[in-house]
Amino acid sequence: MPDLLTILTNLSWPVAITLAWLAGEFGQRLTGLPRISFYGLVGFVLASTQLGALPPPDAGPILALADVAFGLILFELGYRINVRWFATNPWLAVSGLAEALGTFAAVYFTAVALGTQQLTALMLASLAMSTSPATVVRIVNEQRSSGQVTERVLHLSAFNSLLAVFAFNLVLGFWIFHTANNLTSAVLDTVVRLLLSVVLGAVFGVVVPAMLRQLGNMAHDATVLFAIAIILLVSITFTSGLSAVAAALAFGLMARHRRVAFSQAQRNFGVLGELLTVLLFVYAASSLDWRKVAAGGVLALAVVGVRLVVKTLGVTVFARLSGITWRKGALTGLALTPVSVFVILLLEHARQRGVVMLDELRAMAAVTMLLEVFGPIIIQRALIWAREAPEQNHAA
Amino acid sequence: MPLEPFAQSETLTFGVELELQLVSLSDFDLAAASPDLLHLLNRKPFPGNVTPEITESMIEINSSVHSRYGPLLAQLQEIRDTLVAGADRLNIGMCGGGTHPFQHWSERKIFEKPRFQELSSLYGYLAKQFTVFGQHVHIGCASGDDALFLLHSLSRYIPHFIALSASSPYVQGHDSLFESARLNSVFAFPMSGRAPFLLNWREFNEVFFAKMERTGIIRSMKDFYWDIRPKPEYGTIELRVCDTPLTVERAAALAAYLQALCRHLLERREAAPAEDDYLVYNYNRFQACRFGLDGMVTLPKTYQNVLLRDDILATLKLMEPHAEALESTAALRHLRQAVHGGSDATWLRSQYSDEGSPEGMVHAAIRRFRGE
Repeated sequence: MPDLLTILTNLSWPVAITLAWLAGEFGQRLTGLPRISFYGLVGFVLASTQLGALPPPDAGPILALADVAFGLILFELGYRINVRWFATNPWLAVSGLAEALGTFAAVYFTAVALGTQQLTALMLASLAMSTSPATVVRIVNEQRSSGQVTERVLHLSAFNSLLAVFAFNLVLGFWIFHTANNLTSAVLDTVVRLLLSVVLGAVFGVVVPAMLRQLGNMAHDATVLFAIAIILLVSITFTSGLSAVAAALAFGLMARHRRVAFSQAQRNFGVLGELLTVLLFVYAASSLDWRKVAAGGVLALAVVGVRLVVKTLGVTVFARLSGITWRKGALTGLALTPVSVFVILLLEHARQRGVVMLDELRAMAAVTMLLEVFGPIIIQRALIWAREAPEQNHAA
Repeated sequence: MPLEPFAQSETLTFGVELELQLVSLSDFDLAAASPDLLHLLNRKPFPGNVTPEITESMIEINSSVHSRYGPLLAQLQEIRDTLVAGADRLNIGMCGGGTHPFQHWSERKIFEKPRFQELSSLYGYLAKQFTVFGQHVHIGCASGDDALFLLHSLSRYIPHFIALSASSPYVQGHDSLFESARLNSVFAFPMSGRAPFLLNWREFNEVFFAKMERTGIIRSMKDFYWDIRPKPEYGTIELRVCDTPLTVERAAALAAYLQALCRHLLERREAAPAEDDYLVYNYNRFQACRFGLDGMVTLPKTYQNVLLRDDILATLKLMEPHAEALESTAALRHLRQAVHGGSDATWLRSQYSDEGSPEGMVHAAIRRFRGE
């Protein structure tokens, strides 16, 4: 008979997910705040470094599940992106570049000014560019919002996440190759990896819809087949060292342009998606150490502030030119605030690749923790203030 | 309060209103996009007029008052191009069609929201189905009496307009087997149907309308959902049975056909309208909704059974001199081609099977609306 400790350890994840889900449901009902904020809080509190209820994060099955959950969300995001829009409305692309590059520069200089090492500052800056796709997709679906702020946040989040992956891998390449003094191969390596990831995702995006067509009766089969394909895709990218983010986004994009029914009933990938989202957000927050969060202190607050201002400004400046009101522009910028899962998974995988730099990025841990809880609330408010979320959803 | 006096307008002038669908380009479901689109459109002068609707996924446009088909068509095309350019900047899809083929959002709302469930239990499926999109055509009338005369004389031709505009075969994700399922949604409402058989405006206003108003059921003409109704403040009659066609070209042609018919009827060479004309009215209407151009209609004066397609072709032929006088022969040619080539509903069904999904069909409708 196994001893009590083993039993408790084995139970820790199911119990954590149950608690998180309950906190999410009751919390949402009582406060009207987004469920994922509560998932994050529960994950953070139960983490090995806090209450210690959860085992320390490692490369085990939970990370794999979290990756799949994130893959599902990225696929859905990719499916909602209309690449042509950036061409028909170039000012949208300009505002995307402005907010992302502006954030990179501002965060880098802020970090350096506060005494951060150059390479760490670069890494911090590249991560800060991104807006958490998981939070955005989750809140948009939860609020069932639609309108320009919604559309633009989705598009800009996909855009700046890709930029962030690119920049992060580049910096990571420098980091790894710095010791070997081979910078060209770092750049080349990053570019090739990303391209391969996109191609792999695109191939999935052609093959899977074609299979669905062969099967017919798409309404019933689409969700399962897409989910299986994403599990496969995510696993392939990790075993071959490719970018799951780029691949899953490319898959979604390609599937979108093949016009296969991915009907609304399957938003969030239905029950499977709901379940994995709980796990994803609990896992992400559980990897954060309160000591690092606390140590992040001033720099973290500075990064959060600078990022918020630059993103809001970057989008607002081009709001009129891109066809929306100043107000909606500012709200779009504001809604780009969330950071969470995305950054944590990137860091976690960097760690798996043998890059130990989490300690030096403790400011990012603090930023992530702050925005893991407040990010969803900010974007939810932005959508409500933009009057894009139906009235009855606010606290229902 | 009695109706205001019937405004005089120039006989046979006409104008078109179109209710258009705003669609998400991601999932092709209806999208609440009208506030953003209206904001963008309001920055520049708009050809014609654009107004919001209760549902934010619908936008209504209307032309100015015209006397000729050519300028009407040109204006509708200009409106279309302006709308499309605006929608492109905002990543919104826009299309015609009498219904949106699937509306999961309403289902989801009913599933998840207790408050919506209460509403839905009061109105039943009517509430769910009433997001429908129609074309209205106004025809100017010299007097209220003329308006009522035209209104009742046109009852025989109502099936023509239903069949020629039919573009709503799918409802709530399923093929309804109707060419125009939209009219079923309208017909379910208590004040829909036909106007009472009155040919004298004073009697209509002072007796019928005054009585109806006293019942408390209605407050203005707007509360009647009739297939054709007088609009005294404009001095027009308004034909309301048409689905919004998939193209503005079809919309303009339908208006021109109605204009020619009215010119013909106002010559008063046909037998005068009678209450008994309405004996066959509902059945003919059903045939047109269900089978479109392949419907069998019973002519009200002779009780002869004819194929709707043949009746339309014969009427188009009869209208030729009027079309020449009104400079709208091109419109009749367009409709003749439509009678031979199949309705918008037929086209939508073929797109469904080609594209393999309702989303693909909506995408095709968006391209068609743009004139691609």
